[in-house]
Amino acid sequence: MRIAIPKGRLQERALGVLADAGYDIPSETDLKTRKLVFDRGGIEWIFVKDGDVPVYVEHGAADAGIAGLDQILEHECTAYQPVEFPFGHCRMMLIAAPGAPPLTKVATKYPRITRQFLDQRGVHAEIVPLSGSVELAAVLNLTSHVVDLVETGETVRIHKLEMQEVVAEISPRLIVGKNFYRTEPKMVRELIAKIEEAARVAS
Amino acid sequence: MATKSRYPTGVRPLLAEETARRRRMESRFVDALTGAGFSEVVLPIIDYVEPYAALVEPATAKQSYRFVDREGDLIAIRSDFTPMLARALAPSIAPEELPLRLFYRGDVIRVEASRLGANRELFQIGAEIVGDDSIETDVAMLRLAADLVRAPRDEPAAEPTIVYNDVSIAAALIAQAGAVREALAAKRMTAGVPAALQTIVAKLISGEATLSDVAPFAPEAAARLSAIEEALAGDAVFTLHLDDIEDSSYYTGLRFRVYAGSARTKVAQGGRYDNLYERFGQRAAAIGFTFTIDDLD
Repeated sequence: MRIAIPKGRLQERALGVLADAGYDIPSETDLKTRKLVFDRGGIEWIFVKDGDVPVYVEHGAADAGIAGLDQILEHECTAYQPVEFPFGHCRMMLIAAPGAPPLTKVATKYPRITRQFLDQRGVHAEIVPLSGSVELAAVLNLTSHVVDLVETGETVRIHKLEMQEVVAEISPRLIVGKNFYRTEPKMVRELIAKIEEAARVAS
Repeated sequence: MATKSRYPTGVRPLLAEETARRRRMESRFVDALTGAGFSEVVLPIIDYVEPYAALVEPATAKQSYRFVDREGDLIAIRSDFTPMLARALAPSIAPEELPLRLFYRGDVIRVEASRLGANRELFQIGAEIVGDDSIETDVAMLRLAADLVRAPRDEPAAEPTIVYNDVSIAAALIAQAGAVREALAAKRMTAGVPAALQTIVAKLISGEATLSDVAPFAPEAAARLSAIEEALAGDAVFTLHLDDIEDSSYYTGLRFRVYAGSARTKVAQGGRYDNLYERFGQRAAAIGFTFTIDDLD
């Protein structure tokens, strides 16, 4: 079984919950090396960029993984999401400078989710895809609005922007590839049961 | 210049060696299907969109290449053989000729809307039995699908895994409460599932559900699956998977997927669609499957 772990924001807590579930996860010393694949306890752990977890799982290159709903939705990943984790919850928000003009241009790391959000509201706006520091777009008037994840709201406050609307409630999930789910039901059940229990205890 | 050295995403030519392999695989399938009493039909590569409009979900419709022809009609390139076969056959089916055993082969083109998949040209061979709603036919088609995976290989038999279910079970539960769909799709219990259904949905999600658990909700499906399970007993390639609720689109009953090799590649899928022909003007039960040959290579 191959499990994909997202590097970055969710990594530490994802590994924590897997350790609580009784899995022999790669140690901190392991992770300091530049290796990206670790064999531990009969499981192959792979470390990939958070947005790539849904890609690996969707295509069956990883059997399961941990991914934020933001990345799951953005990639239109069809994998099952059997466990929702109690940590790492945040919101995807529509953000703008105070007194911003009506929404005509919006910058985001999530063009697909943003497109759906705009379509649902019948708003016609241009989407400017960026890969980071999205708030800056509104500060520097690249766009009137931005759509981004908000955890504490600190970044938004520092830049004197205001949150206008919730686009989506985001939480990390265990995702399991459909083919893996259907062809290895025993392994899947065990994985889900263990992680579900660890997530329940953690909450 | 930029397009001189490449092809659109998802298509490529097969040169001599690959073509030879493709044709070998194809002829083994054709021999096996002809041997099992199936006759070939040829379907057009493009067709009007309108006759299928009520049938396919918007998401599926987006998977086909569409364009406006010179008369101003919306046309789609073939992306699914099954409804095309139903439309072609329905007007001319004579009840005394049933059941019909037919197969088809050719390319379909799917435009995957998702960023995860590319546009793809797929070579498919499919078979269908029209006008026979018996459990024996369900079993026969499942067995035929398994035999087709085993037969066309030079190497020692590659054992497939065939996972089957009945889509009417999930449909019955979803009809009682829409929230069940979300829970079954994510494989996670959600707050919207009404108390009366929590037990059965939880069991389906955890994989503990048995046929007797689902029988009160979908008695007919449970009885059929139980008969199928009994008929297939002893053949380890078949697995009943009650919680599998995917893409029910035109399927009405038995639904199955065929996986081959250690890589768990899905090579074929199929099921029963007893209402499809009626949509094109003639009642007839039907069951079929489609192999995607590239996935079997």
